[in-house]
Amino acid sequence: MEAQSETNPNPSTVTTERKPQPKGKNTDFEFCKVCKLNHNQGRRHNYFSNHVKSLSSFLSRFQSKLSDVRFFLKNPSLLPPELASHNRFWCVFCDSDVTEHGSSLTCEKGIRHLASADHLKNLKSFMWKYGGGMDRIDRFRFTEADIAKYEKKCVSMKSESGSEQSRGPLIGPSNDIHNEQKFDYVDNFDRSRIISDNSKFQNSVLPLQDYTNENYQVSYSDLSGHVATSTSSYGNQSLLSASDENLSNNLRGGSGLTEGYHHNGLTCQVYADKRESNGEGSSAGLQKLTQISSTFYEPNAGNVHSGAPPPWFSATNGNHLESIKTKTLKSKLNPKRVGAAWAEKRKLEMEMEKRGVLPVDRFDASWLPNFGRVWQSGSRKDSRKEFEVEAKKPVKDESQNLDSSMQLQPYISKRMRQEANG
Amino acid sequence: MSYLLRTLTKKEDVDSIIRDTIDKLLVLRFGRSSDSVCLQLDDILSKSEQDVSKFASIALVDVDSEEIQVYVKYFDITLIPSTVFFFNAHHMKMDSGSADHTKWVGAFHRKQDFIDVVEEIFRGAMKGKLIVNCPLPPERIPKFQLLYKGV
Repeated sequence: MEAQSETNPNPSTVTTERKPQPKGKNTDFEFCKVCKLNHNQGRRHNYFSNHVKSLSSFLSRFQSKLSDVRFFLKNPSLLPPELASHNRFWCVFCDSDVTEHGSSLTCEKGIRHLASADHLKNLKSFMWKYGGGMDRIDRFRFTEADIAKYEKKCVSMKSESGSEQSRGPLIGPSNDIHNEQKFDYVDNFDRSRIISDNSKFQNSVLPLQDYTNENYQVSYSDLSGHVATSTSSYGNQSLLSASDENLSNNLRGGSGLTEGYHHNGLTCQVYADKRESNGEGSSAGLQKLTQISSTFYEPNAGNVHSGAPPPWFSATNGNHLESIKTKTLKSKLNPKRVGAAWAEKRKLEMEMEKRGVLPVDRFDASWLPNFGRVWQSGSRKDSRKEFEVEAKKPVKDESQNLDSSMQLQPYISKRMRQEANG
Repeated sequence: MSYLLRTLTKKEDVDSIIRDTIDKLLVLRFGRSSDSVCLQLDDILSKSEQDVSKFASIALVDVDSEEIQVYVKYFDITLIPSTVFFFNAHHMKMDSGSADHTKWVGAFHRKQDFIDVVEEIFRGAMKGKLIVNCPLPPERIPKFQLLYKGV
């Protein structure tokens, strides 16, 4: 039995005994490190559903690990030497522990390992042996192009940090949970602000800045000018909020381009990316954000900046809250209750009456509610119809009675008649 | 007592209160405020109005009013006080063992009886029932005799 050991006694060395085993007869046992079991199934084992399942979870686990590293490939950052020992990862294809001893950038060695020819070779043999699919190889390694870009970024970052000596080394973007211990390492406010500023580029959100107020006021005072150049025809722009002091100073000084788009009056500022022109030269992590046009807004609608009521508080509809209340009430009620459909209809009518769509006093003298009469068998509508028929008839009956009563004469006794005559 | 509760004297008012009482039980008392049994019933109604206000609204209807006669005829009101129940403009009946299921004739013996009846009808209505059984014991249901209309 030629079981391969899963745990490497010496993690820092690449084990070479993990080569694909020569296929023998079925009686030869071999170790599947994906399933972590010895088997004598030969190549058939790769097609077992258990193996396929565990292989996919195995690969996805490694891929999640890789995504952390990929983050630093896109955004190179300096690694404080104290943390170098924390920063390492286990390459499952090469069965080696990649440590960061002696590297100045986070995950530098890991990145280089993932791009190395050795890694590619091991990766290919792994895929061949365990059936991961050769087309997926590129997911688990870095290409030459990636590395070339990475090196370019590293160079630019180093020069940048060199130019900003006064501030100390620029500590790169880290909203990554693996590197949050760096925040402990940060010793002054200035640096921590840089971190938070940089980290937002990956989040592609524009958090509230220290200088937002100032810029806001600037554009407010320049309102007329901005209105003239406002809205709707922005191409793709790299959006960047004013991140550090230099930049915002530049913006206020006018060398940077500030543009605001206004619905009516002032709203949000959009900062065109002028960072390169400031010589900071970090295109790293900037995202191309597309500006959508906002012309479909009503011109005098107002927004949160101008203190207008939010759209869900429609100013024209004073009883909106009330309708919300009844709606929530309605949802609790049994939909099969008596007259549910009628209640819904009537509620809508009442709301329309309140809004003035329908006339309020639509008094119909002939309207009657459904009523099951005492001697009625049949539906309640029937009894109403019966009553309506009845209601028409008695009028005639009464008039006939009246006519007949007109013909009737009071009884006058003979004696009285005689007395009257006589 | 009638000043404690809304008294309706027009068909229009009755129409609108029937139509605009939504998802609540409407209790219409047909009678006249000078009648002693009506006064007894009105007392119970006015005292329990607050208690049942979440699921029922109560109104008095004056049977002597000219405009109400159509309802008096339609509801076959021959004895006063008669109490008619509506839910979402649907007439609610109650089988109380008497001849007339369509209305409650007479006064309630006590406040709790009225509340029980109203609650029972409301529960039935919420379950989609147009007729419910009276929750009161027979000795507390007023007795009356109904003559067939032809006789």
